[in-house]
Amino acid sequence: MSAEVSFGRKVRRDFFATPLDSVITLAFSALLIYLLYGVLSWGIFNAIWGGDSADVCRADGAKHGACWTVINVRWRLILFGLYPYEEQWRSAIACMVILVTAVLSCIPYFWTGKRLALTWISGFAAFYLLMKGGILGLPLVVERDWGGLSLTVFIFSSVAMIGMPMSIVIALMRRSKLPLIARPTAFLIDVTRSLPLLSIMFTAAVVIPFVLPQWLQGDKLYRIIIGFAIFFAAYQAEIIRGGFQAVPSGQEEASAALGLNYWQNLWYIMLPQVFRAALPPTINQFVITFKETSLVVLIGFFEVLASGAAAFGTAEWKFAYKEVYVFVGLIFFVFVLSLSRYGAYLERRLSVEQR
Amino acid sequence: MRKLMNLAAATAFGAATMAVPAFAQGGPTLTKVLDRGTLLCTGHNGSFQGFAEVDDQGNWTGLDIDLCKGLASGLFGTHEGNLEIVPISWAQRWPALQSGDVDVIIKASGWTMSRDTELNLNFSRPYLIGAFQVMSLKDLGAENVAGLDGGSICVAAGTSTEKVMAAFIESNQLEIELITFEKTEEVNSSYFAGRCDGVIEWGPALAATRLQADNPEDHVILPDVVALEAEGIVVPHGDDNWHDIQNWLLATLWFAEQEGVTQANVDEMKANPPTTAVGKMLGATPGYGSRLGLSDDWGYHVIKAIGNFGEVYERNLGSGSSYKLPRGINNLWTKGGVHYPMIID
Repeated sequence: MSAEVSFGRKVRRDFFATPLDSVITLAFSALLIYLLYGVLSWGIFNAIWGGDSADVCRADGAKHGACWTVINVRWRLILFGLYPYEEQWRSAIACMVILVTAVLSCIPYFWTGKRLALTWISGFAAFYLLMKGGILGLPLVVERDWGGLSLTVFIFSSVAMIGMPMSIVIALMRRSKLPLIARPTAFLIDVTRSLPLLSIMFTAAVVIPFVLPQWLQGDKLYRIIIGFAIFFAAYQAEIIRGGFQAVPSGQEEASAALGLNYWQNLWYIMLPQVFRAALPPTINQFVITFKETSLVVLIGFFEVLASGAAAFGTAEWKFAYKEVYVFVGLIFFVFVLSLSRYGAYLERRLSVEQR
Repeated sequence: MRKLMNLAAATAFGAATMAVPAFAQGGPTLTKVLDRGTLLCTGHNGSFQGFAEVDDQGNWTGLDIDLCKGLASGLFGTHEGNLEIVPISWAQRWPALQSGDVDVIIKASGWTMSRDTELNLNFSRPYLIGAFQVMSLKDLGAENVAGLDGGSICVAAGTSTEKVMAAFIESNQLEIELITFEKTEEVNSSYFAGRCDGVIEWGPALAATRLQADNPEDHVILPDVVALEAEGIVVPHGDDNWHDIQNWLLATLWFAEQEGVTQANVDEMKANPPTTAVGKMLGATPGYGSRLGLSDDWGYHVIKAIGNFGEVYERNLGSGSSYKLPRGINNLWTKGGVHYPMIID
């Protein structure tokens, strides 16, 4: 019946039912408008947009709002970090490649083991060749010069790609009926989870070179990615284990009664249901992981937050740190929002199949 | 370089009966760096104003970066293509040096006893005296901290800065009230809001803070050194040759300034050296490099690349930069500062 209620009536019913309701509604609306106006007048109405030096913003005193000139001048530093200036198109394309790969693998058509593997392997190979170069006439750019958004995206997708299969394996080991496998796995998960991510990263970056022989070390970047992936897998394994527990035990018994072996049972019966049950916390875990990539700044990587800090870290732009942080914040917002919306799409799709 | 070594060996062999060898073998670090063809020097994870900043094109600039360039130019003749700036955080610098991620730390690092002894590090002679100084409003007319007598100074609570400021006030028998705040941002904004007559900070940081004022020219950094931290170039224990090179890099920069050798006139000075010591330093006569395992004209390449110490300072922190931090205690001994070259013989 509510569909027939007019908009005005609905507003009156929901927000102005009693005098007290009206007062509360008006008070909060006023506060909201006041805050919104403050943000908009700083960020848009009174902001300075163009120009190519800080003098544009200095000229008329402190009367203006945001000085977006800083983004105008320094955006390449924020997006590409220390990557050589003339080669930054490579970093841009590489970033696109990873994004396209990620988007492709979100499309149901690619959801077979073979297609997914092919997409990701070719995507990563293209990214690596473009970023590192050294062949096909592309100048070599070593990993420590990688930076900005491409580095953030690379770290995140590598961690997800290595961590996700690892987490399934760990979850299966954790559920093993053999105590010799299940107990140590549980212990390892607990140990990993009780360490802060930062200390795992420091261990990977700083301690490993003293422990492992040279040929086993690899670049600092890959050590950190592997450390991060292990950390991710420990959390994700528990999420997947939760998914296993959500599947009624009758399912497993029924598949055994049908004569399916362990792998068939896992692949056709259990995992599809496990993923459906574990989807919301999994998306949550991905979002957290994306934001945690910023921690690599502490071991000297120029990911997007660090290059943002470098962008306002000069005499000329010191005052414009708010603008840079807002800009970097928007980048994170776009990525995390897409992740969340994709998660919502998956949930809708899966629940359609279920009911 | 190999050739030079062979020559060195031959000369040494030939002269063995007459005198000590005229040429020294480079230490393990020098050999490693020269074989690699690249010097790995410290940058920053982000930006440290005046010392390591990134320009619009993503190139490093700053005082510490200039010293890295000078060192690379001295080793290889030019820093172009021979210098890698490794972005590194404060906490990571010591392990990075021990594990070989960097060859040398030039990162505004104070010389402390625990670092020198427990961390197995060697410090070069300090290339910068990080002075804790007071900034105040120009309108107050104070020419030194004593001029703020009866006034107040903003300082971060519970820091060593607060202690040294209190000690300074006491020993100079001044009546200055210390107003403390929890965070540096609060200290600065309170000072700019007029809560105190002055604010104390590490000099270069103060110069960066000044730029955030509506009108930086209204503020003056007073010359008194309230306390200081001696910043040196850091290398690991156990390679004296590499340590020597850092000290003589700095000596070159100071000696060049003392003798008036600049980036602009270095070619002329090399062709017609005014004194034998200058000629030796620039490689007009042999001996300056070979004793360190370097080429004899390495001093020339250093000055050609970055200029003398005064030029490096003024370009990055002093009058040639936005920071306009007066040289004060960081001047040469001839101009009232503490820096001096060693004797080049």
